[in-house]
Amino acid sequence: MHVVIINGSPRVQKYSNTEKIIASFAKGLSEKGASFETYAISNRKSWEMIREAYIKNEEILIALPLYVECIPGLLLEFLETLPKKDEHTRLSFLLQSGFAEGCQLRCGEEFLTKLPEYLGVRYGGCLVKGDNFGIRILDEAKQEQVTKPYQAMGELFAEGDGFFREEAKKFTGPEYFSLPMRLMLQFVFKTFAKKMFQKAAASLGCNTPLDEKIWETNSGCRE
Amino acid sequence: MSVTTNPANFSSLERIKPGLEKRKETKYRMVLMIDTTIKQIGKQIAEELLHSGGNPAGFELIDTTGMHISHCVGCNYCWLKTPGVCAIKDDYEPILKKMNEAGQVWLISDTHFGFVSYQTKNIVDRVMPLVTMYLKVKDGQMRHVMRYDHQPDIGIIYTGEGDQAYLERWCQRTALNLGSRSLGVFPAEHRKEAVSCML
Repeated sequence: MHVVIINGSPRVQKYSNTEKIIASFAKGLSEKGASFETYAISNRKSWEMIREAYIKNEEILIALPLYVECIPGLLLEFLETLPKKDEHTRLSFLLQSGFAEGCQLRCGEEFLTKLPEYLGVRYGGCLVKGDNFGIRILDEAKQEQVTKPYQAMGELFAEGDGFFREEAKKFTGPEYFSLPMRLMLQFVFKTFAKKMFQKAAASLGCNTPLDEKIWETNSGCRE
Repeated sequence: MSVTTNPANFSSLERIKPGLEKRKETKYRMVLMIDTTIKQIGKQIAEELLHSGGNPAGFELIDTTGMHISHCVGCNYCWLKTPGVCAIKDDYEPILKKMNEAGQVWLISDTHFGFVSYQTKNIVDRVMPLVTMYLKVKDGQMRHVMRYDHQPDIGIIYTGEGDQAYLERWCQRTALNLGSRSLGVFPAEHRKEAVSCML
């Protein structure tokens, strides 16, 4: 099997969480003897090359971050430039997001299940996984650790059934969090998480409160 | 916000804080239309709104033809480096400021793959400065804490072969993320129904 993997994130590759996920996934492909080539749409200059790879190959995987309940605008623009192909080509997706629960990605997933038909190609399934916001701020060793589970999904994909197997469906994790978990999260969000985010911001040189109402100063609407 | 939709709550709140609710009412009732369609159908819709008597708080039509509006690059600066401010300096910020003040935002869009065009999706992807990095749990799901107290409701008017059911789902989910409501999704042929929602 030879897989064309397209990183559909608009973020520069260096800081792309999707890129780290692809690296781990591709390791799994190699483990099982599959080969791959990878591209990223964040650089428009490579679009012509990606289109050629899309036209020439029959196993395509687009990995992408969820942007406002669907696919990023830039990826949508790129897809509009693809020519129609036939069902010899299989198009699969790896959809990742910051929000952790499976239910957060279902609206985006629905779009992806319907997309292959518009392009004339066959649907190979969609691997759905949240809780990836933090990857970019971790050091290299930690990044490798948190993206490790994607390697097993690469191995599974190399077996040829796309993402239709039970293991791929289970990979998403909980659809909703249980009540005790939600209460715990609520507490963390109100306390440690705020501090952690403010610290992350400080490392970028930001000293403004992260919830600053920047357009409302002196407008008297702060109730 | 429930107090603005329930008249009983509204009057009681006015007794406690006279003036507050009134100010919010007039300030946030403006109807904003953002037209990215190639045929610029927003003009027609605006005219129909005027013929129907118009929205008392006024409306504004932004035709994005010729404007430079980049896609969101996911840099997270609007959350972590310059909270509330987008790092991309193009024609988008004035649009976002208008959205922040409007009661209703109508996305007037062409469709591809049954979905809104990338031009419209770019406009939606870039609302993140209105959202903060902070998180909360609401109605059983994780949500971001909004930056401002008021959030505009969102509606869609589309041309072409839109996937009506999917667009409705997407519009509702998008509004849920902003802590507001979906105004509904209307094919351009049924724009009169949309206009009646603007009055």
